[in-house]
Amino acid sequence: MNDFPMLILNDIHKFYERNEVLKGITLEVSKGELVTFVGPSGCGKTTLLRIIGGFTNLDSGVVLLDRQKIDHLPPNLRDTRICFQNYALFPHMTVAGNVSYGLKIKKWKKEKIRDRVEELLKLVQLEGLGERMIDKLSGGQQQRVALARALSLEPKVLLLDEPLSNLDANLRLTMRGEIRKLQERLKITTIFVTHDQFEAMSISDRIVVMKEGLIQQIGSPIEIYEHPTNEFIAGFVGYVNLLDGTVEVVDIGLNMAILSTPIGKVQCVPEKSINAGEKVKLVIRPETIILSRSQPEKGINLFPGEVEIGMYVGSLAKYTVQLKGERIIIDQPNPRETGVFKTNEKIYLSLPENIHLLTRQ
Amino acid sequence: MAETEPFYLPQRNFWEKVKTFLNAELIHILAVLLFLLLAVFLLYPILAVLIKSIKSPEGLTLSYYVKFFTKGYHFHSLINTLVLGVINTVVCLVVGFCLAYLTTRGPMFLRKPLKFITMIPLIAPPYLFAISLIILFGRNGILTKALGLSWSIYGFSGVVIAQTLAFIPLAYLMIENTLMSLNPNLEESAYDLGASEVRIIRTITIPLLAPGILKAGLLVFVMTIAEFGNAAILGGRTPFLAPDTYQMIIGEADFEMGSVLSVVLIIPCILIFFLHNYLLTGKKFTTIGGKPVASEPRRMTPLVQIPFLIVSCLAGLMILISFGVVLVASFTQLLGVKNEIVLSHILNFDSNRAIYNSIKVSLIAAIIGAIMGTLLAYVLVRGKFFGRTFIEMISLSGFALPGTVIGIGYLLAFNTPPIKLTGGIMILALNCVFRFLAVGVEAGISKLHQINIEIEEASADLGANFMTTFYKIVLPIMLPAFIAGFIYTFMTAIVSLSAVVFLVSPGFELAAVKIFDAAAYGEIGIASATTMKLVLIVIICMMVLNYLTKKSKFEATQKGVSKTV
Repeated sequence: MNDFPMLILNDIHKFYERNEVLKGITLEVSKGELVTFVGPSGCGKTTLLRIIGGFTNLDSGVVLLDRQKIDHLPPNLRDTRICFQNYALFPHMTVAGNVSYGLKIKKWKKEKIRDRVEELLKLVQLEGLGERMIDKLSGGQQQRVALARALSLEPKVLLLDEPLSNLDANLRLTMRGEIRKLQERLKITTIFVTHDQFEAMSISDRIVVMKEGLIQQIGSPIEIYEHPTNEFIAGFVGYVNLLDGTVEVVDIGLNMAILSTPIGKVQCVPEKSINAGEKVKLVIRPETIILSRSQPEKGINLFPGEVEIGMYVGSLAKYTVQLKGERIIIDQPNPRETGVFKTNEKIYLSLPENIHLLTRQ
Repeated sequence: MAETEPFYLPQRNFWEKVKTFLNAELIHILAVLLFLLLAVFLLYPILAVLIKSIKSPEGLTLSYYVKFFTKGYHFHSLINTLVLGVINTVVCLVVGFCLAYLTTRGPMFLRKPLKFITMIPLIAPPYLFAISLIILFGRNGILTKALGLSWSIYGFSGVVIAQTLAFIPLAYLMIENTLMSLNPNLEESAYDLGASEVRIIRTITIPLLAPGILKAGLLVFVMTIAEFGNAAILGGRTPFLAPDTYQMIIGEADFEMGSVLSVVLIIPCILIFFLHNYLLTGKKFTTIGGKPVASEPRRMTPLVQIPFLIVSCLAGLMILISFGVVLVASFTQLLGVKNEIVLSHILNFDSNRAIYNSIKVSLIAAIIGAIMGTLLAYVLVRGKFFGRTFIEMISLSGFALPGTVIGIGYLLAFNTPPIKLTGGIMILALNCVFRFLAVGVEAGISKLHQINIEIEEASADLGANFMTTFYKIVLPIMLPAFIAGFIYTFMTAIVSLSAVVFLVSPGFELAAVKIFDAAAYGEIGIASATTMKLVLIVIICMMVLNYLTKKSKFEATQKGVSKTV
């Protein structure tokens, strides 16, 4: 019976005065899964996390943790532990004092506490720093102490509220990897809140994209990136070219469709059933378009265009290309091979054949 | 423009020279001037008290001090004062903490009303509580007669109660401030790790607040031992240092002993002032969380909520009742004895003349105080010269010194030429200026800290000289601090009693002194009515300040609000 979800949220609503900040959130999280809540600020992700942790009361809905209803319990009686954005380490205690705080409350024996603290500090690579005061630690070390403290009582669900936002860019990457490694090793169910979509993409088993108190889409990072269900998500997880199109022909036998768009006829492999005459939006990621100086000998979805701006950023060259009045953004990997195209240079764009389509429902 | 003149060519015109000199050195000239004023009107009087206490016709002597410590009465008075300070501080801190905890962590619907009631004493002179206690528990007090009490309010317990009520807002404000800047995530983390609310308060909240609570405690202690009105009105036969000083000087004309008492009273104040300003700075845990936040209301356990509520409501109720009875007494012939509604107290000629005099003196004090405060703040923040910290210390110290001491100091220092001021109106105004200078200086400093010096540099870069920059850029930006300093000085000056009680001359009575005299002679109606008029004036000042703050969004420092007589 291991596949019963560890955490279930059912139709959660939350009002702040008249303002509804959560408008019915329903979600299941499996044991050992790392799920990220991502969305622009004000989308309700932190409120949702605080509701799971017990710091904010919900107005209606149910929270089940390991088959137990917990939404009426205060935080100290829930088996969830939180790591706050600013770590909230007790500044008047040592590292060991912080990590052992919960254990002392649970009235563990002294020797047992000592062993457990040692084990936890080893886990987060802070061996030997137990007697350090908190303000003598670097940001990354403080982050680790916060993690060790949250893990000390072996919670069923670990809640991480923007844990990396106070670290500098390099450290953020390192800690991101470490948190993921630790989480996979301990197989601990984890909710991770971030506003950084790339952080969400790189760390999660599943991503929950939220906006204005509603879940927009739940899916693996690849699903979210490749098959967004609406324009907001498509734009939120990276730059995207959106083209209006109308389905002209659908050939189920050949598994092919022709779409008419402002830049001309585009041929694509439909990933879901569409009908002729239907209005759709084409979602084309900048890195899926191939640029070339001369016209390729053959191929489908070839269009001539003109470079508006080209920017060299090292690993990529980023272009804005004018194509029949439409502005298309293109990322060209490894620009060393072709050189950077110049402004006003005539070039050819080759669009991919499998294009994700947003249908209007 | 074939050849440009080198800029270092000697100036031809004399006035040009003066102007250049002034522009370059104005800040230093200002500093010297301000320092001289501080020296004459703050340092010199204190020095005069010190000298008086050790000078005999034969030369220097410690005999007065020996007398102080051997004569049981005075020593008893010192012990009384210190014990009063300790009891008062502890009670104020406990009540202040309960109130602050409820208004920052408690149920939403309680926060505003509780805070409002707690702040009420701020609009009143502290001796209002002495008057209300007389009305309730005095020899003819309402409750004394109704309940047949034999307990007398005159004495130690009465002073403790009046002082506690008067200083609750001060303790509350300071503790609330630190509680607000305590990151709620810290307490939530402890909660999350399984701690109960009692345990969170014991292991997280109080340890983290300790520096702030200590600071509040020190301040309440100093305020209490220096406070004159309550002890003088309610002390009865129990001696306390501040009223004894008054008795020595005015009653027995024993200036030497009065000075000794003053010096003894100064010592703890100065010690605590230093402790407060220098030892405790930097020892703040609470900054870790960053900006102040009102924490989300949490479910308080009854174990905490009920005792906190009882303490808070009791304090709130006593504050409200005190205000109520003084208000009613202003319109009653003699409350509890002859309950007829009369307007004679409100219309009393002496009372109104005293109010008029007080307004006049306080206005003069406010104008001088605001100008000096603004200039001092500018010099202290922007100037870089030897002795800057010293000047800052002096300008803030007036506030830490007991009013009685400054009163005696002025009496000793300005009674004879070269500077003879006694008997005039200026001595009253000036002593208020220098006692409450800290308020204007603090307001100015905090305003200036918000202004980037680059604004002034930009003005200089565009060709303005120092005076133009000061006039066109600095002054307009500092205007809010100036106004705040003005109103605060006015408010504090008009209710202050402890220093002016030494300095008023017959025929020119001030409202605070009138209240004191009326209360002493049992004219409760007049005392109450005059107090209520002062309350009304303070309320108007606060409303003006509030309006200006909202209108221009300027940050009038709240620091000055709680400064008392």
